[in-house]
Amino acid sequence: MEKTKKTAKELIQDYDGPHLRIMEVCGTHTHEIFRLGIRKLLPPQVELISGPGCPVCVTPVGYIDEAVMLALEHQAVICTFGDLIRVPGTKMSLSEARAKGARLQVVYTPLDAVVYAEEHPDTQVVFLAVGFETTTPSACLAVKKAMEKGLKNFSLLVANKTMPNAYQALKGSADAFLYPGHVHAITGTKDCKKMEEEGVSGVVAGFTARELLTALAVTLEKFKEGKPFFVNCYPRVVTDAGNPSAQALIDEVMEPCDSEWRGLGVIPGSGQKLKKEYASCDARMKFNLPKIEGRSNPACRCGDVLQGKCRPSDCKVFGKGCTPQHPIGACMVSNEGACSAYYQYGLEE
Amino acid sequence: MCVGLAAKVVGIKNGMAVIDASGARREVSAELLQDLEPGDYVMVHAGIAIAKITDDDEDETDELMEML
Repeated sequence: MEKTKKTAKELIQDYDGPHLRIMEVCGTHTHEIFRLGIRKLLPPQVELISGPGCPVCVTPVGYIDEAVMLALEHQAVICTFGDLIRVPGTKMSLSEARAKGARLQVVYTPLDAVVYAEEHPDTQVVFLAVGFETTTPSACLAVKKAMEKGLKNFSLLVANKTMPNAYQALKGSADAFLYPGHVHAITGTKDCKKMEEEGVSGVVAGFTARELLTALAVTLEKFKEGKPFFVNCYPRVVTDAGNPSAQALIDEVMEPCDSEWRGLGVIPGSGQKLKKEYASCDARMKFNLPKIEGRSNPACRCGDVLQGKCRPSDCKVFGKGCTPQHPIGACMVSNEGACSAYYQYGLEE
Repeated sequence: MCVGLAAKVVGIKNGMAVIDASGARREVSAELLQDLEPGDYVMVHAGIAIAKITDDDEDETDELMEML
């Protein structure tokens, strides 16, 4: 009689292999795994650790200070995704700057910021361009559209980041990576395959319960085989080639630069900046911003959390001085942040 | 910010797609995907359709489990 195959859930619950640490690179994976109760299925030798894949969380304090300066000293209207507004800067967040007169517009897409600039020709409009390969194409498209329309009042404060060099920096932090599905919808799977060749294991994972359970089951089964592996567990969205049009758009508008990641420091070649053809849309050049070194609250351990060195609940201010209502660190602000996930779902851990 | 929105394309015009996500409709850029047609499903990020969704998660995961 044919043996009945185990389900993904059973494979996870019955895992009897060696101890392993799996890093959820993507903050949305962290939240969904908590929300779906998947952590409660894991045997004790399987440890999930959060990574740096929340764009708000890795944006350095100095970037918030630049945005506050643009709003208060240059009277620019700041267009931004909503979760950046409450991230603490050295002296204040954008939310606190609003109480001092800063004008903020929360937008769904940078393309809406271009429309806002078009409708307010006498106002300088700056879009806060943060995020990984997933969101960078929308910022590039916004710049191109603003230039096509001849807008002189639209610019980007760019802090976009790319994942490949961050993966390199994180080697050794975990035994296997849950790679972020939507980053690889853009970039394809070549970086993951390169990691496998270099001895680092991982799977690209989707976001539904079925997809996350299957990605974890594949990770555990492959890990037991004792050799590096890579499996694309999200093939309905992620192809080997990724999105060539998006890649070409990024290459046309942006070029690599060194970039500071909160907690990880400066990672060479891990950032994006506008190419000189698009320099008229670079807010730093347009407003001649000085180099700003931000200072975070010394009690905050977001940096360690982002590298998987500690759990959010190991931080002294977690859940006490630092809560979603009164965040001290970026990881508590963003809906994709690890501290926010632990606070919302996992205080008992 | 990086949370994707899975949606059905209900119309295409001038590089823009009207999408339906669980009943909510809005216009997004379709410039980064070729050959998009009404009826296709797409993943949307920050106002841009970034990838076609080619299968449902049940068939996708069944195939992956077969591999184990």
